[in-house]
Amino acid sequence: MTALALVPNAQVPKSEVRPVVQHTLERDLNGIVHLLTCGSVDDGKSTLIGRLLWDASDLYEDQRENVRKSGRKAADSDLPDYSMLLDGLVAEREQGITIDIAWKYFDTETRRFVIIDSPGHEQYTRNMASGASHADVAILLVDARAGVKRQTKRHAAILDLVGVKRVVLAVNKMDLAGYSEDVFRKIEADFRTLCWKFSFWDAVAIPLSAVYGENVARKATTMPWYQGPYLLEHLEKAPSHGTAFEGPFRLPVQTVLRDGVDFRGLAGTISSGSIKVGDEITDVLSGKKAKVERIATMSGDLPSAQAGQAIALQLDHDIDVSRGAVLAAPDSKPVAAQTIEGRFVWLSETAFDPRAGYLLRTVTDLIPVSNIEIKALLDLETMSSHPATHCGVNDIAIAKISLGRPAAIDLFGDISETGTLMLVDAITGASIAGGVATSVTAKSEQHGDGHFILTREMLANGLCRDLSLSSADREEFMRRANEAAILLRAAGVAVAIEPPPMIDDGMDPGL
Amino acid sequence: MNASPSHLDLLEAESIHIFREAAAQFRKPVLMYSIGKDSTVLLHLARKAFWPQKPPFPLLHVDTTWKFKEMIAFRDKTVKDFGLDLIVHINEDGIKRGINPVDHAPSIHTDVLKTQALKQALDKYGFDAAFGGARRDEEASRAKERVFSFRAAGHRWDPRKQRPEMWRLLNGRLGTGESVRVFPLSNWTEKDVWRYIVREKLDVVPLYFAAERPTIVRNGQILMVDDNRLKPKAGEEIKMRKIRFRTLGCYPLTAAIDSDADTIESVVLETLNAQTSERQGRLIDHDQAGAMEKKKQEGYF
Ligand SMILES: Nc1nc2c(ncn2[C@@H]2O[C@H](COP(=O)(O)OP(=O)(O)O)[C@@H](O)[C@H]2O)c(=O)[nH]1
Repeated sequence: MTALALVPNAQVPKSEVRPVVQHTLERDLNGIVHLLTCGSVDDGKSTLIGRLLWDASDLYEDQRENVRKSGRKAADSDLPDYSMLLDGLVAEREQGITIDIAWKYFDTETRRFVIIDSPGHEQYTRNMASGASHADVAILLVDARAGVKRQTKRHAAILDLVGVKRVVLAVNKMDLAGYSEDVFRKIEADFRTLCWKFSFWDAVAIPLSAVYGENVARKATTMPWYQGPYLLEHLEKAPSHGTAFEGPFRLPVQTVLRDGVDFRGLAGTISSGSIKVGDEITDVLSGKKAKVERIATMSGDLPSAQAGQAIALQLDHDIDVSRGAVLAAPDSKPVAAQTIEGRFVWLSETAFDPRAGYLLRTVTDLIPVSNIEIKALLDLETMSSHPATHCGVNDIAIAKISLGRPAAIDLFGDISETGTLMLVDAITGASIAGGVATSVTAKSEQHGDGHFILTREMLANGLCRDLSLSSADREEFMRRANEAAILLRAAGVAVAIEPPPMIDDGMDPGL
Repeated sequence: MNASPSHLDLLEAESIHIFREAAAQFRKPVLMYSIGKDSTVLLHLARKAFWPQKPPFPLLHVDTTWKFKEMIAFRDKTVKDFGLDLIVHINEDGIKRGINPVDHAPSIHTDVLKTQALKQALDKYGFDAAFGGARRDEEASRAKERVFSFRAAGHRWDPRKQRPEMWRLLNGRLGTGESVRVFPLSNWTEKDVWRYIVREKLDVVPLYFAAERPTIVRNGQILMVDDNRLKPKAGEEIKMRKIRFRTLGCYPLTAAIDSDADTIESVVLETLNAQTSERQGRLIDHDQAGAMEKKKQEGYF
């Protein structure tokens, strides 16, 4: 399944337990991997992470001492109760925050790991989805005696929905299954069948025992029949966060930076691909093209830059691009979308209301929504959809959204970051639903048939009569236009806003 | 090309992204500058995010009037060197009432001269967003903190008003009366902060380096006598001692450690290989159980 599964035995370190991490000044870690663990209660999630910390991380001595002194033991063994290392997080669980994710950080010899802890019961779809949206690798935990369960399938479906590409099935408590190859192979086969339904790039099953540390931070001595990587080995070799170097270039523009008349830098973080001086880029919203003249940072100009880097691009000529634009490679660009279809995890306690005002947030844009149509709800266990017109908390809704003006959006399956969406309540500002774009269309479908168009002229002569053409006033112009659209929509009028005048002062266009 | 970024490269880029998002989404942001190492890194990242412009917001220092003299000197030099705008706010009313950390419980001092003072300053200038240097790894109660942390009217932290954050999307659209604390260093650890200071060759307050300083020992903690407002009690004696600080705050509330580490390299190595976590040096944390949680509800950070 993966090249990692072919690592020969001889390359596996022989040491039983890793040395305590020694820090030197020079040590920069080889990237960051965000880990999400999902499993049912008692499958051994806390013990597994605790054991990983114990064997391979830079825990403080006082933290180790606390665990030893407590006298608590793991399962029926004589070993310390490693799950205590996660107690801090568990005890904090009942703060009453609606959607809770706890973050924990640890370093091994070569890597920074971030544990994303989010409760994963059935009622917590939204919790798990929001945690999983940050994960580079997800560990699906099962008890070797129970194997793959309904819950495991649900979890895999949520991971796939939010774009997790690397999944490890940790088959835990192998000690209670006699370290039996047959038991493991059967679970592994079920897991493969399950994975066929999803678009994971890398899925691997590892037999382990969290309590005894077998295949956790070292190769197991009890399962000679298993030739694959142990858990930590696999995690240390997984690609780091923010390394989507391969795809087409995308730079969502956050703000425009200036220095006198000579410098106008389009600033943002590269979502995908790479760029070098001299490359041509395009902005789909204006249709204009230009060449990259400088890639500027405070530490000096760069000849090239890649996904994950925060930069400012100076172009060879001014194309009047502003916040919300997505600069792209001309041969593969996002759509200037007016209608999108997407899958949304409903995060809010407030159910969908066809008369409410919504805004849609992309990485750097905020767009008034002129219409939302809920088409279906997705059943996570069967992955089938059922027609629906309403949805509420924890639902996965398939929705069609018409935008008040075009926005640069990619299909999530092609370029994930520029295909992510957040539905926002226009009045309270609350985050209502997180989603991914599954289909994008440039043409507005309903324009003309009953849509009221708020033209710029109409606004300039009335509501915005007191405003000048200064950039601060243009921003206020847009804000009023958006607010007027929200009110009209709340009153049941289908409305669209005439595209705004170019704003180039880096302010959020939707505000 | 395609060299893998190190973890510090990734953290730096993420923080810059957060700064740029917040500056674009909020009307009137401010950077809460508390002079210590986290603020030093925070300010450096803010400068990077908007270079070649200056950061498009002022710094706010809430001065309790009990900071180490060297902190104030460092603050003023930093602001001058980088040409930044600084607002210093003191809770004059609290000072008039004679609140101080020597005679009053640390929690009262902190509440009046820090928490209340911060709220006064934010209200006075109408800031709708305040950047802070808080990190999720500092404290279990911070482990769930958002990058955009919302405050209801009156600066109250309401758990139900906290918004889920997904992917790289940051939603800063404010409801009526709301404001935001923005934490660009959310995903940094104490070790990262020090490593980054070395990597970027940043200046920090000299109090982080070991030197002979006048000290007393009170309740088993080493305190520096920065001026004559901290008077030795019976049985206490001012002694010169080679000490340094792991965190900086109000001098009567900040415990020192014995150390010979007097260069940035030796301090960082000592910190990286330390066997206990950082907050031990901060006396207010031991003041009452669940103190952090409470301070958060009250708007301490
Ligand atoms: N025998 C055995 N018991 C385990 C193993 N991993 C976890 N356990 C036990 O299973 C129980 C639940 O573990 P815990 O880590 O608290 O599960 P969580 O609810 O998923 O976090 C505890 O009694 C653990 O000691 C293992 O590999 N072998």
